[in-house]
Amino acid sequence: MGNTLQQPFRTAVLVLVWGWLLLLVFTPNLLVVGASVMTRDPSTFISLPMNLDAYRQLLNPLYLDVFLHSLYMAAMTTLICLVIGYPFAWSLSKVARKNRLLLIFLLIVPFWTNSLVRTYALKLILATNGLLNNALMAMGIIDEPMQMLYTEGAVIIGLVYLLLPFMILPLYTVFEDLREDFLRASHDLGAGRWSTFIHVIVPLTLPGVLAGVMLVLLPAMGLFFVPDVLGGSRNLLVGNVIKNQFLDARNWPFGAAASIMLTLAMAFLMFAHRLSKRRIGEDGV
Amino acid sequence: MKKLALATMLAVGLTGCSSSEETQVLNLYNWSEYMPQEVLDRFTDETGIQVVYTTYDSNEAMYARLKLLDDSAAYDLAVPSTYYVSKMRQEDLLMPIDRSKIEGFDNLSPELVNLDIDPDNEYSVPFLWGTTGLGVDTADVEGEVTAWADLWDERFEGRIVLTNDMREVFHVALRVLGYPGNSTDPEQIEEAYEKLAELMPSVRTFNSDAPRMPFLEGETDIGMIWNGEAVMGRDALPTLEYVYPQEGIIAWLDSFVIPKNAKNPEAAHKFISFVLTPEISALISEDIGYATPNLAARELLDESVANDRASYPTAEDMINAEFQTDIGDEALQVYAKYWEKLKSGL
Repeated sequence: MGNTLQQPFRTAVLVLVWGWLLLLVFTPNLLVVGASVMTRDPSTFISLPMNLDAYRQLLNPLYLDVFLHSLYMAAMTTLICLVIGYPFAWSLSKVARKNRLLLIFLLIVPFWTNSLVRTYALKLILATNGLLNNALMAMGIIDEPMQMLYTEGAVIIGLVYLLLPFMILPLYTVFEDLREDFLRASHDLGAGRWSTFIHVIVPLTLPGVLAGVMLVLLPAMGLFFVPDVLGGSRNLLVGNVIKNQFLDARNWPFGAAASIMLTLAMAFLMFAHRLSKRRIGEDGV
Repeated sequence: MKKLALATMLAVGLTGCSSSEETQVLNLYNWSEYMPQEVLDRFTDETGIQVVYTTYDSNEAMYARLKLLDDSAAYDLAVPSTYYVSKMRQEDLLMPIDRSKIEGFDNLSPELVNLDIDPDNEYSVPFLWGTTGLGVDTADVEGEVTAWADLWDERFEGRIVLTNDMREVFHVALRVLGYPGNSTDPEQIEEAYEKLAELMPSVRTFNSDAPRMPFLEGETDIGMIWNGEAVMGRDALPTLEYVYPQEGIIAWLDSFVIPKNAKNPEAAHKFISFVLTPEISALISEDIGYATPNLAARELLDESVANDRASYPTAEDMINAEFQTDIGDEALQVYAKYWEKLKSGL
């Protein structure tokens, strides 16, 4: 009986999901791939003869430098998020259930404000005449205002601020599943705190770490408005290069090729993640 | 497959419904901080037409949007700078403006109509004109600054703001080297790049949203700024001075155009007429500090604004001034290559 009732509903859901993916994920990506093999045209943006010029242009050492610098900033962001997020998620899982929900709620509240607006707010805090410098000077901790805005550090601060919840949430889920009896067993078998941490807790939370790293590292390469606002249009990310190609240089094929390269880099990371997850699955629990 | 098509139609139908408003709407696409809210409110009060105001921070961004000619970018009115008017006109992106529906066109300065960019002003109506010059915070800068070349002075290391505008930044370097600001010669452009590469370590930030902000934030002491921004910035930072550099200031004229895919050209014509009203033109110039091409409005201006050299330069200030012109795609590519190099070569 249930089956017959569910049938239309199931079809509707499937059509919706597949229609959505086809219309809003597959087609746009296909368009990007298409654009990347076309020729740049000043008045129609792209035109025929198909060729791989855009990809050849990617090999320019200039863009390798941008990519590496972008990767460096994204990696720093990820590392800082991990260092803050790991103990954060751990202690979050220790808090009484009632308060825990409140804390998670507080973690999510900033998402209600547009991230661009929050980035501009950071600008007010970090500026030479900004809140932080004024406060530190009023307290007599520093005599001269520090230069924080429009630096590489400011970009990393901005990225950490925006992406930290994406590190904490997956970590929180693995810590929540961490069974107390494993820790007790480890203790009973004579392992000290440090040894338990290295041999039991870290391996068990590794999937959460990897998921968090991916959720932070990948967007951190693309959030172009953060360097635009906090880095003063310097300290470019790969996302800035792509945006500039589409909007300023009007070189769509190259912009499309750059975005495909970024997508491939992400796909590679996700693939590595799956591989490692499978290995953990086998060796671990 | 049939089901899929049905679902798609349903989805399209649903989104289509939501846009059936009763009130008329004018989609205005303009530079950021380039139209006082009061003007928009008064226009709505007078005509009942709601204004949806969207902004951009570069001609390139505006052009890329309008070029698509699709519904997501159906603006009724845009405000390109000088050379983009001719570019868009030649690429058939604009709708002719019906002069019989425009009131007050005759008030415009004869020097700023019928220019090469649009002979007979068939497609454009001048809105404001202005200059890009040197902003100097005299509280932090000792001695007099008189030239673009002064930016290369060591003492400004890390204290400089440049506009985030490829053409303007290269214009400065080309002028410092004694070349025309609209050069299309690849060798001159390369030399300008090398000159700018020397300047880069001193550059703290690029800003084309509001170039006055780095001055107000205390991040920069000197740099490129639009005259209106300098005027607005003075309110909060009285020591901000606007300097006309010896090598010549960069001049531009921004004009109203109606994109080809405008949905409400009627409202666009009404808005242009509204802005051309001397009282409104004067209000705009007083509020945002750029110069109005509307001669009837000039007479209504407050003394302090009319005599403000930052907004209304003297003939002497305009010696060596150059308007930006369309340089063609080939030269643009050369600029773009070096611009990218400049901004990523940290």
